[in-house]
Amino acid sequence: MSATAAQRFLQDAAVKSADLVHRGIILHGLESYDAAHLRGRARFKDWEAARQKCQEIKQEAINHLDRYLLQFEEKVTSRGGHVFWAANAEEACKYVVDLASRCGVRTVVKSKSMVTEEIYLSPALEKAGIKVWETDLGEFIVQLRNEPPYHIVTPAMHLNRRQISELFREKIGADIEGDDPSRLVTAARLWLRRAFFAAEMGISGANFLVADSGVIAISTNEGNGRLCTSVPRIHVAVTGIEKVIPRLEDLAVLWPVLATSGTGQPITTYSTLIGGPRRPGEPDGPEEFHVVLVDNGRSQLLADAEQREVLHCIRCGACLNICPVYRHIGGHTYGTTYPGPIGSVLTPHLSGIREFQHLSYASSLCGACTSVCPVKINLHHHLLYNRRNATTEGGTKFTERIGFRAWRYTMLHPRIYAFAGWLGRAALRVLYGVGLAGSILDPMRMWNRRRSPVPLPSESFRARWRKGLAAK
Amino acid sequence: MQQSENPSRDRILARIRAGLHTPAAESADTTSSGGAIFEPIRNPLDRFQQECVANLTECVLTADTTASALQLAKILQSLPEGEVFVQDDPSLRWLIDVVPSSRPIRWSSQGAPAETSQATVTLVEALIAQTGSILVTASCGGRGASVVAPCHIVFSTIAQLVPDLQTALRNAFREGKLARNSFACVISGSSRTADIEKILVQGAHGPRRLVIILQTGT
Repeated sequence: MSATAAQRFLQDAAVKSADLVHRGIILHGLESYDAAHLRGRARFKDWEAARQKCQEIKQEAINHLDRYLLQFEEKVTSRGGHVFWAANAEEACKYVVDLASRCGVRTVVKSKSMVTEEIYLSPALEKAGIKVWETDLGEFIVQLRNEPPYHIVTPAMHLNRRQISELFREKIGADIEGDDPSRLVTAARLWLRRAFFAAEMGISGANFLVADSGVIAISTNEGNGRLCTSVPRIHVAVTGIEKVIPRLEDLAVLWPVLATSGTGQPITTYSTLIGGPRRPGEPDGPEEFHVVLVDNGRSQLLADAEQREVLHCIRCGACLNICPVYRHIGGHTYGTTYPGPIGSVLTPHLSGIREFQHLSYASSLCGACTSVCPVKINLHHHLLYNRRNATTEGGTKFTERIGFRAWRYTMLHPRIYAFAGWLGRAALRVLYGVGLAGSILDPMRMWNRRRSPVPLPSESFRARWRKGLAAK
Repeated sequence: MQQSENPSRDRILARIRAGLHTPAAESADTTSSGGAIFEPIRNPLDRFQQECVANLTECVLTADTTASALQLAKILQSLPEGEVFVQDDPSLRWLIDVVPSSRPIRWSSQGAPAETSQATVTLVEALIAQTGSILVTASCGGRGASVVAPCHIVFSTIAQLVPDLQTALRNAFREGKLARNSFACVISGSSRTADIEKILVQGAHGPRRLVIILQTGT
């Protein structure tokens, strides 16, 4: 029998949290992010006002989602672009694969897009015999390793330069001496240049869809997004329906906030706006421009008034970076497209609460994620809502339900509670007395496995209280 | 796109509308503080230069067009042999012609920049002091002009300098720049990556150098 997602999560978490090399690499990356993030925030006169503004923008957009999406669609189509609405991953992939087949596309270059990861677009294209090259350096590295992205913003943050150098030598035959990052970047640049100029189709995501201007906004630092959307003759942007924002001017705060939360930069190097195929008189640019608007569970989440704000997420990755759980177990352990706190909140909605309810418990509920979220999503409360929903939807085990009923009964009956306490202490005393601590019979073995054993009290709290603890 | 080719469109819209019938739960804090988000920019030119230094952009101030032409020639001389792509605009034709050179020039009216171009020379729509950025559109030599070559040189004047992103975007919207162009980009430095151990490397896929010639006089 194959392991469930929850069992795999627990196994992988145990392995990764004990892997000190892995933790060292992650810690180094995140410490450098922490410093840059703080410097970035200091550039704002009022960071909290910026978060507030971003929350308001996204709230307005999501609460009028139909209106803004239609406005965006009308503008794009009026300039000769195509807008396709995909209800699910299958429809989105079919549209792109059919388009590629119809246009004789043999090679696709992709810039980073989590939605394309979510819908498994690259495997669908590869299945149709179309070669796909990820062009973001981090994505390119994990593609060569046949791995999913480790992080929303920095997909290869779990690897060091030595591992990447070996990978490039082995997979792309790069002639690199040593592991100097600039040489590694040059090797990837040379390799991917050929792909950019050979590809017939470029696929990007979109950080925002601007309704009043009918443009998609893409933020990249490397310029790969620019090349993907400039050189090939077809450009397809695949994005979630929740990415729409009302006005172009909203980017004046969203761009700096996204960059600061994502990498600590004041603004991403290339903040690009694309509204259609190349126009008459323009020297270059794609002849065709397609936007695929992916629902894939988002409209269902929209209907949940309590959790609707989860759709405000701008995928900056700040909640991952600060999360103490993510910092210990890393991105791949989650086994989901979106890792970390936002992934733990979102995945049960997109991929099923029964299979992914365990993610709601992959949190210390410390609230750090909520405190850094640039659009003020109450992330740790949404984890609690997911826990509650998983329980009320009947996702709990029979033994768990019986256990909690027994616990409730005991808590409501003080004499039974006292008796149960006495029985527990006595039984443990006997068990430990005959040397069975940590054995299968020890009910405390799970707790004590990674902690110092709790010393058994000689008497109950109630007994101590009666002896005068209350008076002290 | 015909409706028949997109059967899910109406279903998705119907689901969205049905979902929005229930008002969203009130967030804990949704009242705007109304305070300023960014520090006011008192001296845009100073700020622009500071930001250029921070984002590793080379910014050269020139007094007049002759000085700009000489500066451009100096930058081009420093580059390896090879073709240079130039936006076909009278002001750039003048700047290029002032200092004769044997270097092959490809004008944007002849098509997109070649993959092997050593540099591109373009105008900008605006300079943004807040972030030390340039705003380009497809009118500035096309999409590839600012990303294909290892060096991107822009010629600009002080009149194009705006204090912040909001002003730049507002002007672009009001002046219909996005309606007239299929593409626009706010560029803040050279192409870069820190994907390997968070170490910054310039020239990931696009230009290793972004040079701004900013003419402060006439």
